[in-house]
Amino acid sequence: MSKKNEVPEVDIVIDHEAGVIREVKQPGLRSKSGHERRVNGGIYTVLVIMSIIWLAPFVFLVFQSFRSYITESGGMVAYLLPKQWSLDNYIWLLTDEKSHFLQWYGNTLIIALFCAVIQTLMVLSVSYTLSRLRFKGRKLIMNVVLVLGMFPGFLTMITLYFLLKQLGLTQQGAIPGLILIYCASSGMGYYISKGFFDTIPKSLDESARIDGATRAQVFMKIIMPLAKPIVIYTILMAFMAPWGDYVFASYVAFGSEPNYNVAVGLYRWVNVNDYQGFFTRFCAGGVLVAVPITALFLALQKYYVEGVTGGAVKG
Amino acid sequence: MNDLDYLKLTGLSKLAYKCRQFFCGIPKKLAAFFLGIGRFLVKLVMGIGSEIKDVAATFANGDWKTKLSYLVMGFGSAARGQWGRGLLFFLFQTVFNVYMFMPNASFSGCYYLGKLSTLGTIETYREGRKTVYGDNSFFILLYGVLTIFFILAFIYTWRMNVKQNKLSEQILKSGKKLKSTKDDIKSLADEQFHKTLLALPTLGVTVFTILPIIFMILVAFTNFDATHQPPSKLFTWVGWDNFRQLLSSDSASYGNTFGQVLLWTLIWAFFATFLNYFLGMLVAIMINKKGIKLKKMWRTILVMTIAIPQFVSLLYVSKMFAADGLINTYLMKWGWIASPIPFWTDPVWARVTVIVINVWIGIPYLMLIATGILMNIPADLYESARIDGANAFQMYKKITLPYMLFVTGPYLLTSFTGNINNFNVIFLLSGGKPLSLELSGNAGYTDLLITWLYKMTVSDTNYKLAAVMGILVFLVCAVINLVVYNMIPSVKNEEDFQ
Amino acid sequence: MASVTLEHVKKIYDKKVVAVHDFNLEIKDKEFVVFVGPSGCGKSTTLRMIAGLEDISEGTLKIGDRVVNDVEPKDRDIAMVFQNYALYPHISVYENMAFSLRLRKMDKEEIHRRVCQAADILGITEYLGRKPKALSGGQRQRVAIGRAIVREPQVFLMDEPLSNLDAKLRNQMRAEIILLRKRIDTTFIYVTHDQTEAMTLGDRIVIMKDGFIQQVGTPQEVFDTPKNLFVAGFIGSPQMNFLKARLTKNGQGYAVQVQGITVPLEEKHNEILRRKGVGDMDIVLGVRPEHTSVRFGNRENAIESTITVNEMMGSELHLHVSTAAGDSVILRLPTVDLDDQTRQSLSYGNKLYFNFPGKVMHLFDPKTEESLLY
Repeated sequence: MSKKNEVPEVDIVIDHEAGVIREVKQPGLRSKSGHERRVNGGIYTVLVIMSIIWLAPFVFLVFQSFRSYITESGGMVAYLLPKQWSLDNYIWLLTDEKSHFLQWYGNTLIIALFCAVIQTLMVLSVSYTLSRLRFKGRKLIMNVVLVLGMFPGFLTMITLYFLLKQLGLTQQGAIPGLILIYCASSGMGYYISKGFFDTIPKSLDESARIDGATRAQVFMKIIMPLAKPIVIYTILMAFMAPWGDYVFASYVAFGSEPNYNVAVGLYRWVNVNDYQGFFTRFCAGGVLVAVPITALFLALQKYYVEGVTGGAVKG
Repeated sequence: MNDLDYLKLTGLSKLAYKCRQFFCGIPKKLAAFFLGIGRFLVKLVMGIGSEIKDVAATFANGDWKTKLSYLVMGFGSAARGQWGRGLLFFLFQTVFNVYMFMPNASFSGCYYLGKLSTLGTIETYREGRKTVYGDNSFFILLYGVLTIFFILAFIYTWRMNVKQNKLSEQILKSGKKLKSTKDDIKSLADEQFHKTLLALPTLGVTVFTILPIIFMILVAFTNFDATHQPPSKLFTWVGWDNFRQLLSSDSASYGNTFGQVLLWTLIWAFFATFLNYFLGMLVAIMINKKGIKLKKMWRTILVMTIAIPQFVSLLYVSKMFAADGLINTYLMKWGWIASPIPFWTDPVWARVTVIVINVWIGIPYLMLIATGILMNIPADLYESARIDGANAFQMYKKITLPYMLFVTGPYLLTSFTGNINNFNVIFLLSGGKPLSLELSGNAGYTDLLITWLYKMTVSDTNYKLAAVMGILVFLVCAVINLVVYNMIPSVKNEEDFQ
Repeated sequence: MASVTLEHVKKIYDKKVVAVHDFNLEIKDKEFVVFVGPSGCGKSTTLRMIAGLEDISEGTLKIGDRVVNDVEPKDRDIAMVFQNYALYPHISVYENMAFSLRLRKMDKEEIHRRVCQAADILGITEYLGRKPKALSGGQRQRVAIGRAIVREPQVFLMDEPLSNLDAKLRNQMRAEIILLRKRIDTTFIYVTHDQTEAMTLGDRIVIMKDGFIQQVGTPQEVFDTPKNLFVAGFIGSPQMNFLKARLTKNGQGYAVQVQGITVPLEEKHNEILRRKGVGDMDIVLGVRPEHTSVRFGNRENAIESTITVNEMMGSELHLHVSTAAGDSVILRLPTVDLDDQTRQSLSYGNKLYFNFPGKVMHLFDPKTEESLLY
């Protein structure tokens, strides 16, 4: 009797309309045998241990960010809890004139905002076109994108750098340069939202076209309102990506400290500069970056879940 | 073997049969592939032939407007009242002519095209305090490629222009009206809406992806490296030399290192894909099990690692595992170990550590995907299995796993190639270290092809080898994709999912 | 209001697969035409070509006097009801119905008047404020129809509109479509795979198979005079019985020998066969279940058979029997006149004798599958 309960039971369902995973209370009493209880106990133990492992680095990060730079040490130390809690690191980051942190933060935010808008437009245009419109060369475009996608991204890095340099978009111009690079080819990442569009019945388009809508009107009036989850997913992804990019950002902004993004700046603190001195500042910077991003992400989690699960199933 | 014989086989022999079929099929497939290429070439030649014939016929049969359009693009369209189209054609022709035959010779398309075969001969040098500018191989190659793009685009547009004239004449002859410029603009929101939507993305991809990729493929056949930095030192074509240097195994070459790095890349991709996959599925099953409470909380805790930017989490974790990091210091404090564990300095430890930390990164992601799919498995499958007398493990093996594998087949494929190119994890965790004298080209034991490529580009400015490596990574991915595409049914047909 | 004319219309996919062959049909103004056939017969493709959702590979399509091959769907002045309703999920029922009118920039008052009128006809006034997902299947179907009728289109296209409904609702909606048609007298083209729907709704029925038109005619015509084996088998329920038989000419008259009995043909059929110059030949004989008669007393000139299944349908019995030659045949028998004892005898394994008159027989050439009579 007890064994049957070990199946991954359907007591949670994906609510496609709301785009969330929802738990459904199953009515009826279930007798809990000892075996069942032992199994559940084991699972709880595993989950608690996992939670500790998963959360620990972030908790440590927060702890260390509050360690006083002045009275203790800015480097790595052999203990976890700060002897004296202080806001030294944060104050230094935000107010000291040698700190470019606010500038980096602003740079990254600007890049992220622009990307969120432009990339979303690009991705939606491409995915909608490839999903709904039939025209000569459609298959060709999809195959070309597939082949291009197999080339490693960094291969083209120096070419892009020199292209940007020709346009004056490196070092001092790194911010618009990075926006250009992030957005220019973003249409290639159309797969997930195309998968979403593919699930909207074609008869809706057809019906609208018979009703007198042009294809542009179908796009704006019918498909876009229905695509809200995938629009949010795309915006979220486009907004988050620039916060973590080190490689291109460091290459394009090379040597021009005011034009770094947070990833480049903080990475250089720990790896290029003497990290022993800047470790706690790195932690504090990391906290300042991670908190808003994580909050945003968790708030929009359901759209993310829908995007990745849909994407994985669709391929 | 017929279908029924095949059905009689059990698990392993079925697989063996399939593999045998696959490998026996390779010669046939190769033959088909080359035959396909041959057919394509024949078709191409015939196509070009018939295009030329059509161009000639259009000229012979066309009226004077059509004939003039052969010289002045868009004239025919404009003369027949299609102002918009005519103007666009004419503008394109003007821009093309100006670019190709600019008065300032060193910026014109013809200049770059002419120098393309040598990549420049005059080096820039200093004469006293004055700099005498010569050629610049880099720009010659870059703009040379761009010019070829431009010429192809011109030929295509010119052909369109001719076709346009022919069509217009036909339409007019049959007594119908041509589309006005206003109709043309209107159609951009309707029949031609795909052009409107794709215009910008196509331009972006062409300039910022296709052009650079072709450029880098060409660089692989030059000696562009630290000692050949234009404009003071020009680079030139060297044929297959770089491939030889990277792949041959004599002492001056990188062949041995390349082999080792490739092997490690594949091992890494394998573990990073499948370990994460199965552990993620396991976690999903645990969290989704009936009777487990706080499902949402467990999920959210795990999902945090996706949300926090990787450069924060991975850099921090990397420091945790450093010789003077938290893990080692606490283990020593508690007396469990006498000296620090060489997480990042011993090759084996480093490799295991990156794989383990990658599990930490990967499980939440797979957990989400698996959760979504598990809940889509029809419940009646399990009910029917239970009635047939299956226990929990059998149900997992016979229903859950096959179902998961089937629907995530394409995902596993992209995930595998994605892991071959998984730059962030390696770069932020170990940076490819530990280095070794046994590996050439600055490679370390945890370096993947892609991080090695990065090092070559950024630290060594060895662009020629980086380019070769990029091509090889592409080939590896392409081969894996091709093989798997032929074996998994669910990736083949796009429309099956619609 | 307009006629629809299809001349040599063809649909070819990918230059290879022919979905519709040489389709010729003239649909008169205000006519209700039903395309019927099994799935994959090309009926939906044809409808979608008329709607402009599929390109026409060859031939011409006219709505009224205008050739519309290259006209966009929105400019054809047609309305269409889809199988899955295709209601816009994010806007209310009212907005769904007003959508096409708003796109045409119609006056607000006029839109309101038309939407209300359509809602009134269909009895969905109380749901106008709801979103489509808050409606039942039948209500959604009404909204879909409403969305089409507010347009007051020249031609009304319906693509299997009832097949997503359950049996009871389907019957009810079928009756409503008949009523609707009386109120909004316009040209209807209706696609279905269900022959009952086709028979009850259509002024004329177009029966299709594998992209070819098999027969065009009124419901009575296609029932009484099916042109070939396919039509004969497709129209009518339960299906027509087919038996191998031999046609023999005897002087001026013809007779059919089947399963040991001989049935002479009627004079008007004799005449047709004579005119065609038919001689002795093997044929496929078709007899509808309702045209057979069971012989309880006189077994002369009747086919002996064994009962295999007895289906009680209420007012009638469907008897599946197996003849001595091994063919299975369905017989339809009204229950009113049967006494208890006879009913008892109609059970599994018992012998039964049946025959049929000459005038109900359909004769088909086994090679061409064409009818010899019509």
